[in-house]
Amino acid sequence: MELSVDRLTKQYGRKIAVDCVSMVLKPGVYGLLGENGAGKTTLMRMLCAILESTAGEVFLDGREITSMGADYRDLLGYLPQDFGYYPNYTAKEFLLYMAALKGIPRSMAGKRTKELLEVVGLEEAASKKVKTFSGGMKQRVGIAQALLNQPKILILDEPTAGLDPKERVRFRNLISDYAADRIVILSTHIVSDIEAIADEVLLMKKGKLVSQGTVSELTKQAEGRVWELTVTPEEAKIWQEKAAVANLRHEGEQVVLRILSDNKPAEEAVSCGATLEDLYLYSMHE
Amino acid sequence: MELFKLEHKKLWRKNSTRICVLLCLLYCVGLGSFLVYQWMTYGSIKEKLSGHNFDGYENIRNCQEYSRKYAVLTDETLQEWVRDFKDLYAQLDEDRKTLGFENIETVHKIGNSDMHTVNGWLRTLYPELERSDMLGITVMSDYVETEKLTGLYERRKKAVDTFLTVSGQTGAERDYLLQINEKVQEPFSWKWTEGWSNILGNTVSGLGAVMALFLAVTLSALFAGEWHDNTSPLLLTTKNGWRRLAAAKIQTGIAFTLELFTMIAVGTVVLQLVFLGTEGWDMPIQMVKMIAIAPMNMLQAEIYEFAFTLLGALGYAGIVMLFSALSKNHVLALLMSLAAAYGPMAIHNRVPVFMEKIFDLLPLVGSGADVFRTNTFHLFGRYIWSPYLLIWAPCLIGVLCLFPAVRGWARRMRV
Repeated sequence: MELSVDRLTKQYGRKIAVDCVSMVLKPGVYGLLGENGAGKTTLMRMLCAILESTAGEVFLDGREITSMGADYRDLLGYLPQDFGYYPNYTAKEFLLYMAALKGIPRSMAGKRTKELLEVVGLEEAASKKVKTFSGGMKQRVGIAQALLNQPKILILDEPTAGLDPKERVRFRNLISDYAADRIVILSTHIVSDIEAIADEVLLMKKGKLVSQGTVSELTKQAEGRVWELTVTPEEAKIWQEKAAVANLRHEGEQVVLRILSDNKPAEEAVSCGATLEDLYLYSMHE
Repeated sequence: MELFKLEHKKLWRKNSTRICVLLCLLYCVGLGSFLVYQWMTYGSIKEKLSGHNFDGYENIRNCQEYSRKYAVLTDETLQEWVRDFKDLYAQLDEDRKTLGFENIETVHKIGNSDMHTVNGWLRTLYPELERSDMLGITVMSDYVETEKLTGLYERRKKAVDTFLTVSGQTGAERDYLLQINEKVQEPFSWKWTEGWSNILGNTVSGLGAVMALFLAVTLSALFAGEWHDNTSPLLLTTKNGWRRLAAAKIQTGIAFTLELFTMIAVGTVVLQLVFLGTEGWDMPIQMVKMIAIAPMNMLQAEIYEFAFTLLGALGYAGIVMLFSALSKNHVLALLMSLAAAYGPMAIHNRVPVFMEKIFDLLPLVGSGADVFRTNTFHLFGRYIWSPYLLIWAPCLIGVLCLFPAVRGWARRMRV
């Protein structure tokens, strides 16, 4: 299975939300990183065929996805960023409703719903109305509905938003197991989630795909550009204005800055190992 | 089918739906039927005429008992009724003179005598006997010369004829209406009529106006509510997508309308059976309005009015679903739906006749009580008695609304 994106573009008036993005996605987990307004959601909506592109096309195994209609939607699982739900439905009823929409036979829908409620840790809240759920619980219902039809292509827009650390770990494990022979695309601002589960990272900036590669490949791009510098609090303020500071840590009277820079920012600066977050911040700072 | 069941469940899960149904039942069955039967309309008159007692059930039986003895409407029974009435009125005058006040028992007997209906007949059939100097002073049956009340059915034919002439219905139209009238069977059986008069003139024909409000509130969110719930991205990415969901929503809208109607109709009919029983079901509707031309009995007319309300409600549901599908805001859909029903209702009697006739075709705007009228539509060179068309046209309008509703929703869903 191969999802190819060919020069996909979306323009709203003068604003280009997605600018000529091309990529080929094979089974695995793809982490989509980018700041707010980078075009991640727009790209995902076009991949789901619910938003028409201004130019470019998306092909699944050589077939253009919009022409596939229900066949494509049958392969798709989608969790939108602002996940809408029916407040008066219970979690179980909501999943049964979504199962009916996804064309899952009634006999299977009940079983699948039960399984997924267990998987996302909502089995005890299955009969409670969704409107009474916390943000994290609602998000878990959203994840469950996306998985209902065991989709070959799973697109998750900020799936870990609102999840507590324990739930994030549960989610990461779930997706890792799930993605064996499927394409999973997820966007998040939480770089550690991507670092933990993504086979490949797609870095977007101002509608463009600026980097693509495995976590280690991308991390290498930041190698030699990450520095630690110990300064006084007054000096820290100056450094924050003139350099890309990825992190700031107080150690007694001193402040340890993590600076992203092509060159050694100061004589006392010490080079240190790069992370995906460093690359992300470095790319966004440029 | 599964999707329909779940969509239907979703509609009923909403608090607004439950509240609407409850209020609708309270209004139509509780207020519009129970209190009307037991108190507001059929309760016996209180002393000093200061309202009604809460004794409608017993009072209705007294009314029915009073009219039962006449059995069939003939010149003789009409004269007998007028004589009885005059005796009661004389008794009332006597009480006033001897006791200094009206005896409440006599007042009750007069109230139970079907006097409003019979005086209506007298005014329609014997207009020359009505005295202009007595208007507003007393009822016609108090002073009319009993022996002059003859030739009732000939007079009825003449009254229909005169009414058609006055209404400008001539030539083929008049022949067509008179042809319908010829099927009215005479003589008329006579039981207490005021109960049926109220059922056919107010209770059933008024249900539509109430249903419109509650259907609009409930169904306006059927499609538009998806925007409020922000579920369109989910719906669009499912295999069945919007297409089957739209079909499920339309089925739900129709099912809800049927359910609401059934609840109201069953409630109304049960209370009717409890309070009025079945007596008089076979009376011709001419007993309520002498110049009606429809060859129908009370039961047939009631079935017609219920069918008219049901088909009108289904048609209106179609309109509400259209607005709901075309609007992203369910409040706007609600306002447009209400305007579609109550707008024409409000100006119905203030527009030219041809506009009024067009408005009558709109769902829940016309009245099932048109079964008492002599209106026609002139279509394709033929005259059609208006109730024949009025009963189907609203439903057809609703059905026609469903196609643009689905197409419109599909277009708006693509964001």
